[in-house]
Amino acid sequence: MLSKTKNRVLLAGFLGAASLWAQDAPLASSSVRIDLPEDSPVAVMKWDTGTSRAAARGAALVLDLNISLTLRNISPNRIHGITLRVVSQEVAMGGVGSVFQPGLNVGPGEVFPVHIVTKLMRPQASSGPLLQVNLDGVLFQDFTFYGQDKLHSRRIMTACEMEAQRDRTALKRMLAQGGSPALKEAILKILDRRKDLPEVQGRVVRGRALTNAGVAAITPEHERQEQFALLQFPDGPIQMIRGSALIAGGDARTPSIEVANLTDKPVKYVELGWVLTDSGGRSYMAGSLPSSDPAFTLGAHGSGKVSTGNTLEFSTGGKPLSIQKMTGFVNQVEFADGKVWVPSRQDIDSKPLLLQVMEPSVEEERLANLYVTKGLPALVDELKKY
Amino acid sequence: MRHPNQATLALHAGGDLGPFRRWLTARHLARCTYCREEVAGYNEMRELLPELAELPDISWNRMAAEIKANVRLGLEAGECVRTAEMPLHRGSLTGWRAAVAFASVIVLVGGCLVLQHPAPQPVHMAETAVESAQDGIQLQAGDDHMLGLMNGGASTSVKAVYHFDAQGSMGSRYIDPQTGSMTINTVSYAQ
Repeated sequence: MLSKTKNRVLLAGFLGAASLWAQDAPLASSSVRIDLPEDSPVAVMKWDTGTSRAAARGAALVLDLNISLTLRNISPNRIHGITLRVVSQEVAMGGVGSVFQPGLNVGPGEVFPVHIVTKLMRPQASSGPLLQVNLDGVLFQDFTFYGQDKLHSRRIMTACEMEAQRDRTALKRMLAQGGSPALKEAILKILDRRKDLPEVQGRVVRGRALTNAGVAAITPEHERQEQFALLQFPDGPIQMIRGSALIAGGDARTPSIEVANLTDKPVKYVELGWVLTDSGGRSYMAGSLPSSDPAFTLGAHGSGKVSTGNTLEFSTGGKPLSIQKMTGFVNQVEFADGKVWVPSRQDIDSKPLLLQVMEPSVEEERLANLYVTKGLPALVDELKKY
Repeated sequence: MRHPNQATLALHAGGDLGPFRRWLTARHLARCTYCREEVAGYNEMRELLPELAELPDISWNRMAAEIKANVRLGLEAGECVRTAEMPLHRGSLTGWRAAVAFASVIVLVGGCLVLQHPAPQPVHMAETAVESAQDGIQLQAGDDHMLGLMNGGASTSVKAVYHFDAQGSMGSRYIDPQTGSMTINTVSYAQ
């Protein structure tokens, strides 16, 4: 599919790349290629690369890109989310980045900004644009979707939008029942949850190729197989059967959880939330264990396993986490027909551990920020828009 | 007092100097404690080297290939970190330079012997990892940060929520200070 801007920008992109032989130089906006399909529901109104710079390091270029985009909704539908794919074909290991802007409510003809700040390293001796920004998907108000969906944007944005509807509904109910004071109290609780959220840092490591002897050499004596405690949601479509991971200090290897589909509908994706508790009894939302294997499927009332061979390393305050306990729960389910399930507000509110570790949803955070920056009347007006 | 250089002392220790230079060096050694200690050090080294040479089955071809590969790696690494042309010093192999050179030889020979009889060691390839970084998330290959997405700008301090996906991606969620919009960045291995 040809880009609207492709031809215009391509030549300039080459020229921009050629200008980068300098040691440290500002970047022209032509160094970036914005690639939108012919029938894209959004159009680029303008973009610039602001304070972007490139610096030579040996045979490589280190790029600091600061891209400001202004997009216009040229479709007849309201846009509720957009995902842009950020790629540099020269980046080793084929890494890909994405920028997802949820919580939008952009009507036909309206414009909205997208800000991309990226750093990347690539060989100097290469041509073409330094960075390409492609449209991966757009989610509309009615849950219809447009895009290539290479990054599973449809599922991610749909789940996010369902959570947004769930949390807006809860806040609107509070507003209806208790008026502005009740809404304010709910928002303050969200802000408190956000403030008290225990922070955890970490990395997901892939590419550790070990010989058998190597495994024996590095396997710590204190590595143990830890079972997952399972938090079940009574009305959820998936039940967890059992699960475990190999734990050593702050490292967790090869997590695996067996799951069963309780419904009559085939399931093609399950995402499990993962909570860690350290030796001091403090719990952290460690992340998720998704079934990202494209071949994964759970037939009606079937069972299967969600697992990975990767190693996750967790730390907090610069020190490795001392993992003592793990808890799993079902965070997201996608059925074969594209429908998505997320836990209900009641599911979450009934589990004190989740209230303690789960960050507020994207919509809760957006609305709380609106309250902080523009006040209660603006928040009430915002809720009335939906 | 003018001292013989280290090469002369080493040759003297091995009995490889010609008659005149041997006489000159011996004359110097008779009154120089420092050079006598240097020669004694070379003699100790000579006693040690035959033992090393007796260790069996050194694969010289492999050693040569490894040394060649290490030299090339070193040159490339040097290219990466070099910021300016360094002046080339031409000096005699004396004092600490000789000590460093000998230590290097010992380490090299010892390293080759260890490689010939390796203990079970983990074979680490260049690790690829996605991780949280200062003000953002990044894909890292070895020591290089290949691709990173910052939380609205590296110079800003934005409170973000990080999310790990055990299958190899990582997200950061924040309110962009420039646009005021909720933004979720994700970095992952190729899809």
